[in-house]
Amino acid sequence: MKITLVKKILADGSPCKKCGDVLQKLEESGHMSRIDEVLVADERDPDSAGLQVAKDLNVHRAPFFVVEKEGQAPEVHTVYLKFVKDVLEQNTSASDEALEIMKDNPDLDFI
Amino acid sequence: MPAELLNTVDIDSTLQKEPPQEILRYALSQFDNIALSFSGAEDVVLLDMAMQIRPNIEVFCLDTGRLHSETYRFIEKVREHYNINIDVLYPDGSAVRQLVKEKGLYSFYQDNHQECCSIRKIAPLKSKLLELDAWVTGQRKDQSPGTRGTIPVIQDDRLFARANETLTKFNPLANWTSRQVWDYIRAYNVPYNELHDRGFQSIGCEPCTRPTGPNQHEREGRWWWEEATQKECGLHASNVKKA
Repeated sequence: MKITLVKKILADGSPCKKCGDVLQKLEESGHMSRIDEVLVADERDPDSAGLQVAKDLNVHRAPFFVVEKEGQAPEVHTVYLKFVKDVLEQNTSASDEALEIMKDNPDLDFI
Repeated sequence: MPAELLNTVDIDSTLQKEPPQEILRYALSQFDNIALSFSGAEDVVLLDMAMQIRPNIEVFCLDTGRLHSETYRFIEKVREHYNINIDVLYPDGSAVRQLVKEKGLYSFYQDNHQECCSIRKIAPLKSKLLELDAWVTGQRKDQSPGTRGTIPVIQDDRLFARANETLTKFNPLANWTSRQVWDYIRAYNVPYNELHDRGFQSIGCEPCTRPTGPNQHEREGRWWWEEATQKECGLHASNVKKA
């Protein structure tokens, strides 16, 4: 299994805050060692590796994780807590996961 | 057809040109384990359309515990009008209890609506969607150009999919305007929430919804005390090199 994290650099060159939070959580939990590669989606550079992966996998947000298993289509995870629960098998709080989804997806206000 | 065989991007480009009824017909032809999300507002048109295609379609709605009494009456009216079962979903009682104990009944006015919505809406929705292979929503692009301007009519819903599986989301009304929705409601005498006659365009929970005036966008009637914030998680598609 190969795990890739795609983080974002904003058009003004500043780092994406959520990406920083996710990286910090991965470090603090000791899970950073499970990440095989970190790619940058640089909004200033359409050729940046992260933006190309996002385009190939039809992902419109960052950070996100790509999990590749031999002989299977790549899995994309855009919810950090869902990723650590489903892939890294760490216990997470359902309410924390729901709050992360709500914060990151303003379009969900339709429900 | 199993959802993993659907190329939602290609199908979307075809279905974008189709009317909502055809998109619904397509969705229902592809999935048996599919349900329609009904909000208790003007998305009742979707339910009316679905009844013509699959009268026993599964319908669910979220009861946050904070809806207007008019909305509860409307949900009941819809249930009786179409003679259908509506699966009414509720938030986890202990989570609501903890929120209210710590922050009171109106915490969303002090911070924002996200925590309350995550408990009362997202968590029960998430549980429900774990049971399904596909779902149908009444989202429209014109409801919020800022957050919904590019919604597809079919998409791979990675947020709520079961681990290692797929969930397909259909938005048949994506390209319809509010005007088209209301033309349909009037043309076919579809029942609607009485709050609409009192100036409510967008209807959600009672404390977070208010009527709007002439020339106000419908979203101005929701969470009006919050300032629009920059959605920095989006990847700017215009920056992605075309193939």
